[in-house]
Amino acid sequence: MTPPPIEESLILFENVSRFYGEVLGVNRVTLSIPPGITSLVGPNGSGKTTLMNLMTGLVRPTRGSIRILGITPQEPEKLFRLLGYSTQFDSFPKGLTGYQFVYSFLRLFGWDNAHCEKLAWKSIERVNLVEAANRKVAGYSKGMRQRIKLAQSIAHDPRVLVLDEPLNGLDPLVRAETITLFRELAAEGRHVIVSSHILHEVDRISDQVILLSNGYVVAEGKIQGVRSEIREHPMQVLIRCNRPGALASKVFEQDSVVEARVHADGGGLLVKTRDADRFYRLLNHIALDGIEIESVAPADDNVNSVYEYLIGGEESTK
Amino acid sequence: MMGHWLRQIRAVIRLEMKKTFFSKRGLWVYLVALAPVLLFAGHSFDEMRSRNFKKEVAAERAVSTATLEKIEPGMSPRQVEEIAGEPYSRMSFANRRHERTVYRYTDGETDYNLIFMDDELQTIGRHSRPSINEESLIFATVFQFFFLRLAIFFGCVGIFMNLFRGELIDKSLHYYLLAPIRREVLLIGKYLAGLTATVVIFTASAGLQLWAASMYMDPRATSEFLHGGSYVWSYMGVTALACVGYGSVFLAAGLMFRNPLIPAGAVLIWESANIFLPAALKKISVIFYLQSLCPVVASPGGDVSGIWALLVSSAEPTPAVLAITGLLAVTLLILAAASVRARKLEINYGTD
Repeated sequence: MTPPPIEESLILFENVSRFYGEVLGVNRVTLSIPPGITSLVGPNGSGKTTLMNLMTGLVRPTRGSIRILGITPQEPEKLFRLLGYSTQFDSFPKGLTGYQFVYSFLRLFGWDNAHCEKLAWKSIERVNLVEAANRKVAGYSKGMRQRIKLAQSIAHDPRVLVLDEPLNGLDPLVRAETITLFRELAAEGRHVIVSSHILHEVDRISDQVILLSNGYVVAEGKIQGVRSEIREHPMQVLIRCNRPGALASKVFEQDSVVEARVHADGGGLLVKTRDADRFYRLLNHIALDGIEIESVAPADDNVNSVYEYLIGGEESTK
Repeated sequence: MMGHWLRQIRAVIRLEMKKTFFSKRGLWVYLVALAPVLLFAGHSFDEMRSRNFKKEVAAERAVSTATLEKIEPGMSPRQVEEIAGEPYSRMSFANRRHERTVYRYTDGETDYNLIFMDDELQTIGRHSRPSINEESLIFATVFQFFFLRLAIFFGCVGIFMNLFRGELIDKSLHYYLLAPIRREVLLIGKYLAGLTATVVIFTASAGLQLWAASMYMDPRATSEFLHGGSYVWSYMGVTALACVGYGSVFLAAGLMFRNPLIPAGAVLIWESANIFLPAALKKISVIFYLQSLCPVVASPGGDVSGIWALLVSSAEPTPAVLAITGLLAVTLLILAAASVRARKLEINYGTD
């Protein structure tokens, strides 16, 4: 069997712009999103939700084109068989129980009653909401509403899952369960696109990130890769060792090292270098000079740091 | 594919049904539909009460029609009493200059009100029960100028405009737009859901109105009033067609306008001004076709005047087949335009 063309496994944005009258939503976005967990990160108004709405056809691009696994958002009858979207809107059709909400919208797929019932219960089980399923959604807590929305978006077993701030309002336990669920879904080869403003969580869950600011994509890719591209900010490396002072004098012999600081706990050295590869090679020699190195780890290749370097401290995320 | 669309349409109707029939927002639609039923029921109860009263009076003080017809203006109360005997009711009113007295007689069918001014008969008023033709005309007038133009019109505004606009306000329309359903199929599903609700509510009302209006009639009169039952189907059919036509107009308006009062007002003016329009433009209205289909023309010629004469001017008669075809054609045109709008619909609750 011939494998499907590569574009049928990607989410592609080609030079996409969207304006709301005079106001910019997103501008000249070109993206290629592979399967796995992709996080959209940016402050309020940076264009995260617009990007998700464009992906799902809730808004149309002013220019450019979008294809989701080879399908355009203007073909809802095809697109939403393989895409589920949990929006940020905290509103529901009136008078429905959690189960009725999931079940009723499954019926729009044209499937029979038994199949819809089965899928509805399966997805409700997956978000751990079985006990509350027969209660009216209007009486749910914020966290329960988030989970029932998630259940509705995954009920038809989509290959692409788009989730706008899905962890908002969840307590720590449910948050951990939900992140595990995202990982499971991504491990099955699906696209899981998540927007979040909790950067350390984005770090934990994402295979790749898309950083947005003022409607522009400022960086995309695996976080370490993005970090290494930021030349104007030296890489920070934390070296845990037995003699940080001695190590400091050694590393300063290197031109590329711009700063070395003994860690506050006295058990390590924080080094800023302009050439990480060269610095790692140097460390191999130093280890031979009798300094016992316990661990070497990048200290600023997380989303938080990258975000601060790229967008600046004056802008806080949502 | 058609079978798949039909299943999707059924799913949309199921989702919408509760909202269209039982929403608190739509309670007033039931009241509007019930209003003419109450009007006709009130009229019937009044007729029954007055008929029973006349029967009792006639049994006690029977005066023949021939005797009562002998009474002439200018007579004194005494002369009248010599001809017809004691009236069954006598009332007197006086002011500084005049004394007015009213005598009431009945022959069992018609009431005679004799009004004396200073002991001289001035006026003889005859009040007989309305004939079946008059009852038909009254019903047709209320049906066409209250029920069709106002009750169904605003009922359709309330139900059909909410199908899309209401969900935009509630921020729940996106659930539909995120389902694998063509926007046209969604539109048809919502339209049929609204149509089911309005047809059930308003045809039930039309049937109840006919029943209420004929409650006091004997079987022969009822049969004459309902034209052997055919008027029931005609009025209910016209009601259903009104829902078909107005429903499409307001479904489209709900998709195209943020404020429903503006298009509703514009359509109301257009429909009311229909009689002034040239023939070609007349046909682009719902009321034109509906009036042609009504079994009784609510235009009693010279009997109506003033603003009513304006309102009751009927459309040029159009054969039923043409009227139904025309109405359905207008409906399809409007739904096609609404489909185009639905395909371009975006979710932007912030500005909607």
